Amino acid sequence: MSRSYLFIPGDVPRMLQNLDVFDADSIIIDFEDSVAIDQKDEARLLTQAFLSKHHFKELDLYIRVNDVSQKTLFEADMQAIKALNIHGIVLPKVTLEALDSVDAFFDRENITFPIIGIIETPLAVLEAQTIAKHKRIQGLLLGAEDLTKDLGTTRTLDAEEILFARSQIVFAAKAYQKEAIDTPYVFVRDEAGLAVDAQRAARLGFTAKASIHPNHVETIHHYFSPSKEAIHEAKRIVAQSKKLNSMRFSLDGSMVDKPVIDRAKALLKRAEKYGVLS
Amino acid sequence: MKPIVVGSLESSDCLITLTPSKTTTITIESIVYDAFGDAIEQVIKQTLKHHGLHDVHVYVQDKGALDYAIEARLTSAIKRYRSEADES
Repeated sequence: MSRSYLFIPGDVPRMLQNLDVFDADSIIIDFEDSVAIDQKDEARLLTQAFLSKHHFKELDLYIRVNDVSQKTLFEADMQAIKALNIHGIVLPKVTLEALDSVDAFFDRENITFPIIGIIETPLAVLEAQTIAKHKRIQGLLLGAEDLTKDLGTTRTLDAEEILFARSQIVFAAKAYQKEAIDTPYVFVRDEAGLAVDAQRAARLGFTAKASIHPNHVETIHHYFSPSKEAIHEAKRIVAQSKKLNSMRFSLDGSMVDKPVIDRAKALLKRAEKYGVLS
Repeated sequence: MKPIVVGSLESSDCLITLTPSKTTTITIESIVYDAFGDAIEQVIKQTLKHHGLHDVHVYVQDKGALDYAIEARLTSAIKRYRSEADES
């Protein structure tokens, strides 16, 4: 599980070579929107050549392939990356129908990559629950730009227009213990707006936020890491449980039981992973 | 046949131009030529050999590309070159 997923274009060597200096928990190398149609093959060749020679232990790597309705592009992407040491693929324009096609292709080609599906159409929002349940799905990522285009509306800072989609994704993902990843904040230089947007997404229950600019990673980590107060509280709960050897007790007048203790342990585990435990 | 141009002049990248030639010839312009000119030439020769291409002029404008990027850009250029050659 990651807090941040940073998109970088697959056809820019300068970005590929620096993917471990952006401090993102996960990198998504993009073959789709940020790569022009006549550059797709170059993105595949560059990424393939780069990842065949360079390995990143501390970083989770994903590749956003082209959507499965563009069969030739999708299959060329998959053939280029299927032997690479990556954590999974990011699948644009996911729907149940698209997932079925990918599933059949993966079975045929013996590919086992987990999939992060981008929910970016009204149909996908409505199908989010069943998509989240799918065995290959690792997480759902909201693609608000394409979604609002389909809805015939525009993005705003208060994000009212994507509230339903955000909530639907969080509920669907959480129901099946999958990751819920919020949409990138597209106003690259608006740090204050990013903070508001990231905080809102974290409060709704998203586990991570995607970004399209390295400068956003620090702010995203701030809002998607466990807070000092939450870590302190979790430590107290786990310590008291151990001390009393009990999964049910009262702490500061509040009832603590197994779900609360499990949540505290999970929070401490995440805090340790992100290096914010002490 | 039109020259095939692949890559960019951004830092860490290279622009490769392929044109038909009777034999293999290579021209390299690089910001790091003194230190890496021979290494760049080696990557180009190996990649041409790997793809069995012997009748092309390779013009490389290098902006500090690493081996993998030169190899990938040249491979892409060779694919396009062959595709163009098949069509013409």
